Amino acid sequence: MDTITAIQNLIAPVVMAADAAGGHGAHGGEAGPWYLAWIPFIPLVGAAIVATLTATGNKDKTPAYMSVVLLAISFAITVSHFMNWGGTPVTIHASDWISFSWGDGPGQSFTGNFSFYFDGLSLLWMLFVTGLATMICLYASEYMSHDVGPGYGRFFFAFMLFVFSMSCLVMGDNLLLLFLGWEGVGLCSYLLIGYFYKKKAAVDAGQKAFVVNRIGDLGLLMGLLLTFTTFGTIEYEPLFAMIEAGETASGARLANTWQSWAIPLLLIGGAFGKSAQLFFYVWLPDAMEGPTPVSALIHAATMVTAGVYLVARMMPLFLADEDRIALTVVAWGGAITAFWAATIAMAQFDIKRIMGYSTISQLGYMFAGLGFLSSTGAVFHVFTHAFFKATLFLACGAVMHGFAGQLDMRKLSGIRKLNGWKITSFAMLIGCLNLAGFPFTAGYFSKDQILAEAFYTPDSVVWGSSWAGWLLLLTAGLTAYYTFRVFFRVFVGPTIFEPGDEAHGDDGDGHDHADDHETHGFHPHAPGWAMNLVLVVLASGSILAAGLYFVNKKDHGWAGSMVHQSSAYVHGATWIDHGGPYDAAGTESGPEDGTDADTSEAVADGGAEAEAPIGDYSEAGHAGGADHAAPLALTYGEVTEPGKLLGFDPHEVMYYVSAVFGAVGILCAAYFHGPRGFEGLMIGARERADTVRMNGVAIKPVNRWAERKWFVDEFYHLVIVMPLRVVSHLFHWFDKIIIDIGLVDTLGRIPGWAASVLRVSQSGFMHGYAIRMIGGVALAAIVAAILALK
Amino acid sequence: MLGPPRVSDGTKPSCVAGKAGASEGALEAIINPLLLYGGCALGAVGVAFALPKRGASLAVIGGIIAAAAAGLVVMGLTFAALPSEGLGEGGLLEGNFGALPNIYFHVFGVLALASGLRMITHPRPVYAALYFILTIVASSGLYVLLSAEFMAFALIIIYAGAILITYLFVIMLATQAPSEEEPDRLSEYDAVAREPVAAAAVGFVLLAVITTLMFSGLPTLERSRSEASPEPALELFHGKWEPDLTESLRAAELIDITETIAIDSGLAELDLSAAPVTVLVTSPVGDSRRVEIPMELIPEGFVATNVERVGMNLLAEHPMTIEIAGVILLMAMLGATVLARKQVDIEEAEKERQARRLGLLEEGA
Amino acid sequence: MDLLGTDVLSTLTMAQGAFPEAMPGGTLAHYLFISAGMFCLGLIGFMTRRNLIIMFLCTELMFQAAGLALIAFGRYHMNFDGQTFVIFVLTIAAAEAAMGLALVVLLFRKRESLSGEDWSELKG
Repeated sequence: MDTITAIQNLIAPVVMAADAAGGHGAHGGEAGPWYLAWIPFIPLVGAAIVATLTATGNKDKTPAYMSVVLLAISFAITVSHFMNWGGTPVTIHASDWISFSWGDGPGQSFTGNFSFYFDGLSLLWMLFVTGLATMICLYASEYMSHDVGPGYGRFFFAFMLFVFSMSCLVMGDNLLLLFLGWEGVGLCSYLLIGYFYKKKAAVDAGQKAFVVNRIGDLGLLMGLLLTFTTFGTIEYEPLFAMIEAGETASGARLANTWQSWAIPLLLIGGAFGKSAQLFFYVWLPDAMEGPTPVSALIHAATMVTAGVYLVARMMPLFLADEDRIALTVVAWGGAITAFWAATIAMAQFDIKRIMGYSTISQLGYMFAGLGFLSSTGAVFHVFTHAFFKATLFLACGAVMHGFAGQLDMRKLSGIRKLNGWKITSFAMLIGCLNLAGFPFTAGYFSKDQILAEAFYTPDSVVWGSSWAGWLLLLTAGLTAYYTFRVFFRVFVGPTIFEPGDEAHGDDGDGHDHADDHETHGFHPHAPGWAMNLVLVVLASGSILAAGLYFVNKKDHGWAGSMVHQSSAYVHGATWIDHGGPYDAAGTESGPEDGTDADTSEAVADGGAEAEAPIGDYSEAGHAGGADHAAPLALTYGEVTEPGKLLGFDPHEVMYYVSAVFGAVGILCAAYFHGPRGFEGLMIGARERADTVRMNGVAIKPVNRWAERKWFVDEFYHLVIVMPLRVVSHLFHWFDKIIIDIGLVDTLGRIPGWAASVLRVSQSGFMHGYAIRMIGGVALAAIVAAILALK
Repeated sequence: MLGPPRVSDGTKPSCVAGKAGASEGALEAIINPLLLYGGCALGAVGVAFALPKRGASLAVIGGIIAAAAAGLVVMGLTFAALPSEGLGEGGLLEGNFGALPNIYFHVFGVLALASGLRMITHPRPVYAALYFILTIVASSGLYVLLSAEFMAFALIIIYAGAILITYLFVIMLATQAPSEEEPDRLSEYDAVAREPVAAAAVGFVLLAVITTLMFSGLPTLERSRSEASPEPALELFHGKWEPDLTESLRAAELIDITETIAIDSGLAELDLSAAPVTVLVTSPVGDSRRVEIPMELIPEGFVATNVERVGMNLLAEHPMTIEIAGVILLMAMLGATVLARKQVDIEEAEKERQARRLGLLEEGA
Repeated sequence: MDLLGTDVLSTLTMAQGAFPEAMPGGTLAHYLFISAGMFCLGLIGFMTRRNLIIMFLCTELMFQAAGLALIAFGRYHMNFDGQTFVIFVLTIAAAEAAMGLALVVLLFRKRESLSGEDWSELKG
């Protein structure tokens, strides 16, 4: 904290001056500390510096280290705010941006400023965004070292710009700034996916991501505009106040309007696009063409969770939809995506792609959590997932970096025994355990919270929630299987490897390997200190994140306490018998909420603490139950009981059930993909599994279809791309023949023809010009004479 | 140049270019339009003939035709300007020349036009320059007729004496050395005029238009200064005659030896409206009185000459223009100097080229 | 020129000293015709002759025509502005001759020819 204070003191004068210039006029909410406005702008300044450095021909790693330092400053500011945070939302007005009015009446002004809104949700997001960005930037400084020079600068420029955009997205106090950040991260994602712009696959993947995201973004933009026309504002605080009051700008009762379900559905479009859900997921696996740090930061930890953030942030709007159409779509969309992506991941061989599909799958969990009204679980899963998925990606990246771009798990085996790969293997193991939901890992707690909530929420609240719960449970098993499939294949077993096509070769001498990569001349290139350090930090983070579950137990963990102090909180007592999602009592939020605390304590009075951590979990489960029990009964008169899992309270039994599913998955993986004589413990059947995959009659088509990703890409190509292409070819020819040749060229040639006729008169002889000039004067004089003598 | 537009009398506006009908009124007061346009057409034919070409030279015929054309127009002008009394009683034959110009006008005018025609038609540049000198001399004769003696002589000195000599120098400098076998052979570009017919047509159409416009406006041209109140010369040129006047008045004992002519802001206090003219004189003690100036005492020298008047006009009324003219001359001098320096460069390059050709300089040096 | 006539006032005034009497418009027309004729001869010469020096001479002829018109009008109006401006015309003519002839010499040295038709870089 001393360091942080020192940094604050260091930059204080600068910020003061900036504030003075910008006219520090915080409006609405409590004005926050001025230095928070620097969280996004420090990366922006960093991007500018990187660009300048690159433009001036920098050829070393200065941009990377400078980026790391600047991001660390941003992170430090965030942490310092977190430490000093009192629990109330604060607003920081950085500068005016778009703010105009065309009348004095309500809804006749539009405000979207560079103002930042800090509540628990954005603070939590900013913590892992800036923190992970710092770590991954450090990792990338080594990972990208083969590209030192302009490419290096390009990478870190886009990287810093991404952090700026992501910060705007998360911290903005209005939907417009969120949209700016939204498009900004989309742009940076596009730039970074296509980083290897000489590789066609990378360029295509970038375009695919961009185009698919555009479709979703259209929904977001329409939702934004509809929000404005409905509520007359897009700033969170007034907007939530209006939703709380249950009225639109025109005074109509919100629940009666079509906007109450249209706006959430449109926002879901944007969120699903950015977070690769349902029909939009196809861009994310291809996005793995980008450099691995990008995959880790943007396409696993931060950007793809923007959709989750959006839904969590606009939760009051989703709750205002009394028919819960939007919530059902969110829940089922997430659950189906989770399952679907997991099935595909099971049959892939590219380890990064597997991680990509698992990201989609886990994002599905998060959306399901939101749909089941467990924003706490969803947000906690976002947080833990950010850590362990980043760990996994970075470990994969280390493999890729070390083995000249090799990503095919069939060509790698037993890496763990090689010199210098211990840390990577260990980090991978931790990441896999988290992802698989192995008991007592962070991923285990966060995922179980969602799963339990799926069963806990009655089917009548969210349609078919328990079925979705079973689907998610099954998915958890599949997840464990494909996760450990990677681990057993790549890190365990006899040490066999084959270098890749050195597209990401090791330190410039990869060219030699390309010539003889079939030979034994290839030496894997173990990760250096920066990569190892980052792996260690992130792996430790994934482990320690589990501990957060036991902080602030009455709010279901630390994430819960953060959510509690934000708009994402689903108020227990607010379901709704007087026409709005919030009643008078429910508006009082915060951890001081007496009802919550009392109830949770009352329920959690058993001796559960003796059985920690299980007891803690059950206590938390009870707390969660208490959180909902009263309102559910209150709101839906017919529902007196929350949902059950196999006749038990889901919060109590879930962790056993999911542990069983996870264990089965891991054991299957160990059986099919563990090497023969796996560490003397069990008999692996990797070879047999391969044989089955190749020859097995029953499973072969399924496997093949899954490997080909259920032909979704081909389906899209046939249904969307091909017709578009045909139409665009038609228009192309129309344009070429009718517009270009028929109109433009013809018009363009007329002056040419005229000139070719007239140029003959330009003899170049001054006599010719003189005689014509004098003739012109004579003509003019004749005209003058006629006019004068008339 | 144009007078106020004539009020139309209902007839269609006349075509001014050549053949078609005459304009009514103003133009006819100066010249018969038929004569004017006929003269112009004839002049065009003559000039077209007179311009140099290969083969049989028609210069003499062209010159005669052109002279006839000019004569036609001048005749037309003269007819229109004849005194209203006609030739007879109180008319031309009795010394009433009306508005007709001096006989010297015809001499000099024809000389100017003829030598101008010869100048543009003579194939040899030296002769053309000499004919141009003749034009200038004729012009200066016209200037004298127009009471512009100073300008007449300045024209001869500056133009004929300086500018044309420069021309002659350049002509000599810039002429190719004649070949041995044909010392008199003309260059192609000297011997053949370019598009003589078109040029003559355009030029004379322009002449017809210009003269039509000028002559139409002439009857209504107002004099810029009233003839009734000419500027008093005594006031303008007091410095020239003041001492003489004082001496004369003293010699005639009209004033005392101690008295002097009163000067107010540089001017003698004359009363020109009185007859005879009076002047205010003051005595050393402060008395002042008016003294009549007898006619015979007005010194002859005070009458301003043409040079004095031009100088007065130039310096008193156009000082800024003099400055601008000075700047232009300076620029011309600088420009000529710069261009002259360039000639040195060209000569250097030429020398180098020749040296290389002669093998005095190594290739690529 | 009997400058000391009977009328004292007219004796003492300037205009009578320089210009004997007002010039009638008919006479002015004569001079203007000479002027216009010279001008058009200069134009025709400029258009037809190919020799650069003669073309310059033709412009001088046009200057002459302008000068004659100026003096004739000045005489008609009984003032001296016309004569003054002929001085300026002379000035310009001198400057133009200096520059133009220097250029002619330069051009001649480049092409060994005085033909204006040797220079047609503006050809379209």
